[in-house]
Amino acid sequence: MQPYQEEYIANLRDIAVLTTRINPDCHSFDTYRDTLLQNQRLIEDKINRNIALLRDELFPLFDRLFEAGPDELAQLEEFAQKLLDGKNELDGGLFCQIYQALLSRARHRKDHNAIIRCLYWLGIGHHNMCGKMVGLDWPDIEYYMSQMRLCFAEAAAYLKYYDDIDDIETKGYILRSRANTSLGQFKSASSKIRLTRQTLTLLQDEEFQQKTPELPWDRYIYMTHQQMTSSISYSRDNDMTAQDVTAIMESAHIVHRRQIQEAISNSEAPPMRSAFSCYDIEYYCGLLTLEELLGRMEELMDLADTSSFSSDTIYTIISLPAIYCKYLREYPEQLSGREKYLESLYRKIVAYTKAYPANEANEQIFYFLRQAATTFIETANSISYGEFQQTMLIHFAPDIYVHSQVVGKTAAAFCEIIISEDPAFFDDIAYIRQISNPDAKREAILELAMNSGVFHDVGKINFTSLYTRTARQWFEEEYEITHLHTVVGSARLNACASTRRYAAAALGHHSWYDGSHGYPESYRRLECPYRQIVDVVGLIDWMDNSMSYAWLYGHAKKNFDEAVQEAIALEGKRFSPLLTTRLRDKAVTRAIRQAFDTARFDAHRQLYEETTPHMKSSQDIIQL
Amino acid sequence: MEEIKNENTSEQFPSEDNDDSPCKAVIEQLKNTNSELSDALRAAEEENRAKSSFLSNMSHDIRTPMNAIIGMTSIALTHIDEKPRVLDCLQKIQTASAHLMDLVNDVLDMSRIASGRMTLCEEAFSLADMVHDLMIILRPQAALKHHNFHLEIGQICEENLIGDPLHLRQILVNIIGNAVKYTPEDGAIHVNISQHSEQSAHTGQEAADKVWLDFLCEDNGIGMSQDFLQKIFEPFERVNSSTIGRIEGTGLGMSIVKNLLDRMGGTINVTSEEGKGSRFCVSIPFAPAPPPKDAQILPVGQTVLIAESIDMRAQQIASYLKDGGMESVHLKNGMDTVTWLTEAQYENRMPCALLLGQELNDMSALDLTTHVRELAGSDFPIIMVADADWAQIEYRATRAGINAFVPCPLFKSRLFAPLSELTYKMQHNRSDCASREVDYGQYRLLLVEDNELNREIAIELLSQTGVQIETAENGLCAVEAFENSPEGYYDLIFMDIQMPVMNGYDAARKIRQLPRKDAESIWIIAMTANAFVEDIRLSKEAGMNEHCSKPVDADRLQEILRKRLSSED
Repeated sequence: MQPYQEEYIANLRDIAVLTTRINPDCHSFDTYRDTLLQNQRLIEDKINRNIALLRDELFPLFDRLFEAGPDELAQLEEFAQKLLDGKNELDGGLFCQIYQALLSRARHRKDHNAIIRCLYWLGIGHHNMCGKMVGLDWPDIEYYMSQMRLCFAEAAAYLKYYDDIDDIETKGYILRSRANTSLGQFKSASSKIRLTRQTLTLLQDEEFQQKTPELPWDRYIYMTHQQMTSSISYSRDNDMTAQDVTAIMESAHIVHRRQIQEAISNSEAPPMRSAFSCYDIEYYCGLLTLEELLGRMEELMDLADTSSFSSDTIYTIISLPAIYCKYLREYPEQLSGREKYLESLYRKIVAYTKAYPANEANEQIFYFLRQAATTFIETANSISYGEFQQTMLIHFAPDIYVHSQVVGKTAAAFCEIIISEDPAFFDDIAYIRQISNPDAKREAILELAMNSGVFHDVGKINFTSLYTRTARQWFEEEYEITHLHTVVGSARLNACASTRRYAAAALGHHSWYDGSHGYPESYRRLECPYRQIVDVVGLIDWMDNSMSYAWLYGHAKKNFDEAVQEAIALEGKRFSPLLTTRLRDKAVTRAIRQAFDTARFDAHRQLYEETTPHMKSSQDIIQL
Repeated sequence: MEEIKNENTSEQFPSEDNDDSPCKAVIEQLKNTNSELSDALRAAEEENRAKSSFLSNMSHDIRTPMNAIIGMTSIALTHIDEKPRVLDCLQKIQTASAHLMDLVNDVLDMSRIASGRMTLCEEAFSLADMVHDLMIILRPQAALKHHNFHLEIGQICEENLIGDPLHLRQILVNIIGNAVKYTPEDGAIHVNISQHSEQSAHTGQEAADKVWLDFLCEDNGIGMSQDFLQKIFEPFERVNSSTIGRIEGTGLGMSIVKNLLDRMGGTINVTSEEGKGSRFCVSIPFAPAPPPKDAQILPVGQTVLIAESIDMRAQQIASYLKDGGMESVHLKNGMDTVTWLTEAQYENRMPCALLLGQELNDMSALDLTTHVRELAGSDFPIIMVADADWAQIEYRATRAGINAFVPCPLFKSRLFAPLSELTYKMQHNRSDCASREVDYGQYRLLLVEDNELNREIAIELLSQTGVQIETAENGLCAVEAFENSPEGYYDLIFMDIQMPVMNGYDAARKIRQLPRKDAESIWIIAMTANAFVEDIRLSKEAGMNEHCSKPVDADRLQEILRKRLSSED
């Protein structure tokens, strides 16, 4: 690699450590906070350095990529492979940019080997992006799924010319692309299964195997069987044929048998994941009732060793409950009598998450937690959805946690100023209007403002790496993806009774007052009775982002006074004049500045208490 | 109704029993007269009832949008500092005003028909344009009520016809508009437009001089009783049903349709069942217009790839392509399309274009476009054929790489135009650069308007385009201003019609008669509140090029400027 590429990678690794915000050395809070602020400055320096490296070194290379020599290209690919190696992601967005550039070059030169290779890796890059979209509705993710699939489909189309291609590695890419065309979600389950079946038939074709015996055919076939069993989550669809079911059952059997053999040879217990796959298939085929399936799942979940942090245990403790809740959501009649069990499951997940070693790579546990958040069921005595989200944020996205707390508390402080001048300001909201007691009304408004602020960025959970790990400005496509956090957050908050009131702020906090810009389109300010509170949250969110996370948007970081001045300059366009006019009052801005500072300090203290081992309360210790 | 009786007749005339009496004929005549008078009275009373009902409905119908206008104006004034709120109010006022204008136009139309002052014009028009306009008007109305609105084009022998397009449009809009109105939410409306040629009475062969336009509109709405069907074409009649209490209208629409059809030599057949829906069949004869002179150069003998999940649409496209001498390949999936194109590129047999439907079985067409654009290169024609609202998707579609859009319902001419242009460009390696920006600052127009406020508004609206504006207060001043200006000084004239000293028609005629080159070519646009079609005809007869109804709207003015000044470029 080039020195700048190595430096960029090193910076990314440093930033990944610095952003965890853990306090393993049990410093005092003051020391912890000093370190936190110092780390923040370090992170910003490294981010600025990385932006400079891309501007000064990588982008000029892109400019002259058609003339670049083979060494430079090889180094570039090596650099890309470090950014995303299939499992660990350092910078998936940059990985895609590099392969997109290399693909353009390959197309221009009509270099089929390079075209196929670049398409394969670009498909992998898109797949990585799709992985961040767990729990999103199909219309929101269709574009990204399609882009991934089309890359693989184009590379796989060269199968027809398999004999014309001399390069063995390229032939491997063609076959792997063919298998990967069935990755991810589909509009219809049967399409995915049929595609996988066709791939299996092809890979099992001896004629093909004899043409290139050097390739790892067994591995390709096994991975395709795994791919087939991952279709099981779709198996409740009604458009599958008996052949489809047979194919899934065969694949599940092969995968299960192999995993048991591997477990025996490693002196380990058979994997729970595989056991569940078999039960699920049996349920689909009518061998088990739903009641029985849920019972088997409960047995598996109860068997999990909560002191272990193996991949299979993480799956059993977090992902399996997510699937369990998905069934309960689909068949609510099954919920009756299971409430207490469900409540214990969530408590177990929270305790397990808190006990998870902070230095471990946490992509997988975080992925499963997002699944659990997507299918969350609130019951009378369960932890609330809000609490669950807060735990996730503290442990996996502490910066978003701090930002959310700051926005919530500052929004509440601003609302207090507003209602002291105009008590009916928020009367568009029916339940606020109906409160006649002034003190009760004030409390209700402040509670709404606080929680609307605290939960406004809940949707970011799906795109955490884009917010907290992007050590540079966003690329356009990334920025577009992040727009989805409003829609996702709103959907999640709407799904639970305890958070429904805060959904409007999650949806509308990036909209513009005059409707000329902003997102999402589904938020229509004038139709939203919560619009005044959404306006407040939107303004405070923008101010905090301008002061703390400006680099993501390609803006210069502002201090408080600059943020206030710019907000006033955007009066009537981005921000409601009813709010910005108050920012002209020095007493008001003083109070808001104070609220920002206090809220950040408090959030850091909460972070300190939650992430410092000796500060953890005894109830967090997992009861085995 | 009771029969009218004359109590005195038995005293003045001999007994009816006397068959031979010479008075018998007189009595018989009196009886007949009495009966006729009775019928006339019944008819008059019925008409009176209908008119009373009409007046009552009209008062309500006029009051509704008027109330909206007053109410929204009041809200806007209260929230004058909240720009989005004011904008929202203004948009609602605009909608209510347009509706009010429609009501008034209907009443005035009927009055013209009743007084025999309505005339039909004969001009060439494009059926494709007409259907496109229909969709623009009706699709949003149907969408508001979540109707499944489907307009299908059958066999079309002649796309260009001679007749009265404005009145034809009025007939079709009235019928489909009623279907939308009288079908409850989530209903289904199916429209079919096709043509057949008239058979010659002597030979049984198709007569070349006449084409019948067949129009069918079916809905599953509230339907009509058999009683109402009998008087559906009588003015001021509306379906009396509790379920449609809030539907607004004058009850003149179907009467206008029938009158227009009678004058055009057309027929209408209506069947309906209460609670089940209605079916309107209309046939109208037209003369075919000569085909356009500028023939399209099609990629004859080449292959066009069709990616479309709807079989019927793909078949229609394939059939049109075959008529144009092209081959086609049809695929339904995005992944199959990319596979096919990759193989075609490898084997050097790329199609000359890709015609894309809006939705494929496995992905959206726009998602596919992004990839195909990269795979096939920047000059490969990708044309979207869909019934989407282009304005809604244009930004995303052009960004994804769509070169052109063909709206559905699909007409052959609409499909061939971009196909011909884009494949020709590709073959001649011309870059398809965006049309350059037009600076209207170099153009000058003469605004002729006697009303000072109207003049101010028009100047305000027109000046947004940067065009230079000069004004004249009446027709005579306009003629003098034009006469005294150097040739080519004005690029167009916006002319009011009703003005003191000299009206707009006379002024336009005078200008056209002036002995100078630009007198013939200068564009004159009638800008008048006289919105009837005959007013448009009169303005055309006076030598005007376009007609712009008052109250003028900014979009229409700018559209005219674009149309005229861009073509001059």
